[in-house]
Amino acid sequence: MYDEDALDRALFALPLEEPPAGLRASILLATAYRPAPAFSVIELGVLGALGAVAAWLVVLLVLGGGSLFVNTLETIASFAERTFSNPATLAWVAAGGATALWLSLFSGFAPATAMPNRSTRRNSR
Amino acid sequence: MTAGPTDGDLVATTLQGNPDAFATLVERYDRAVYHLAYRTLRDVEEARDATQEAFFKAFRSLRTFKPGAKFSTWIFAIAYHACCDRLNRQKRYASDEMPDFADAAPGPEQQAVALDEAGRLRAAIDALPEKYRTVVTLFHLQGRQYEEIASVLNLPLGTVKTHLFRAKEQLRRLLDGMGVTE
Repeated sequence: MYDEDALDRALFALPLEEPPAGLRASILLATAYRPAPAFSVIELGVLGALGAVAAWLVVLLVLGGGSLFVNTLETIASFAERTFSNPATLAWVAAGGATALWLSLFSGFAPATAMPNRSTRRNSR
Repeated sequence: MTAGPTDGDLVATTLQGNPDAFATLVERYDRAVYHLAYRTLRDVEEARDATQEAFFKAFRSLRTFKPGAKFSTWIFAIAYHACCDRLNRQKRYASDEMPDFADAAPGPEQQAVALDEAGRLRAAIDALPEKYRTVVTLFHLQGRQYEEIASVLNLPLGTVKTHLFRAKEQLRRLLDGMGVTE
């Protein structure tokens, strides 16, 4: 029968199990050595928007032929011309763009915080 | 003898954009984290996934790591939470009321007949309730101090000591039941 000291000795002498083969490599591939994505989030957004516009233009061509396509482009062009010839609109666009740029430089993309621990959850109740 | 960089240095270097520093942290702790996960979950694949998840979360949250804190405590706490989440999902574990009795399912006495002493001891540890198993793993098998275990498990120091005391009582009873003589 184990007495207290013998049990302590046996427990301290127990070797750790070896982790499965490839565990370290898979951790590193998911973290430090994760391959960089082919496109950034912004690039993906721009590509998606361009793709959507292209798809929309194709639909216009298919549905209404050349005239509908040309009319739509003319409508968009005249709207853009009216909008961007207005100094007040330009000022607001510039202010919005500058604020967005400043915020992105100021805070960056903060990483997700670690999960709350039990005491935090208990205190928040 | 020159000591390597401290864990805190490695965290800082990782945050400066050097992935090799995080690789060194993984080399230092992957085995211990896996061992904690394996002892808590008692399943190789689940333990593997929980270990990966813990390092992934640590890597993503590295900016929240407080300078001066112990990285080992932090990564063990993340791993332990990942294990608890998995146990919750498996419905083996109720979040605030963990069972006080030894798990009935595996029948360690029967399993242990053919095992050597270390095997019997492992089987007995596996038969402990989760909260005792984790404390024994951290204290005896990984050599962590009471204070660090209390931080990892988010328990008062006295509770950790009580768990350890009761765990050893249960272990002795289990080993006696296996007919082990010292």
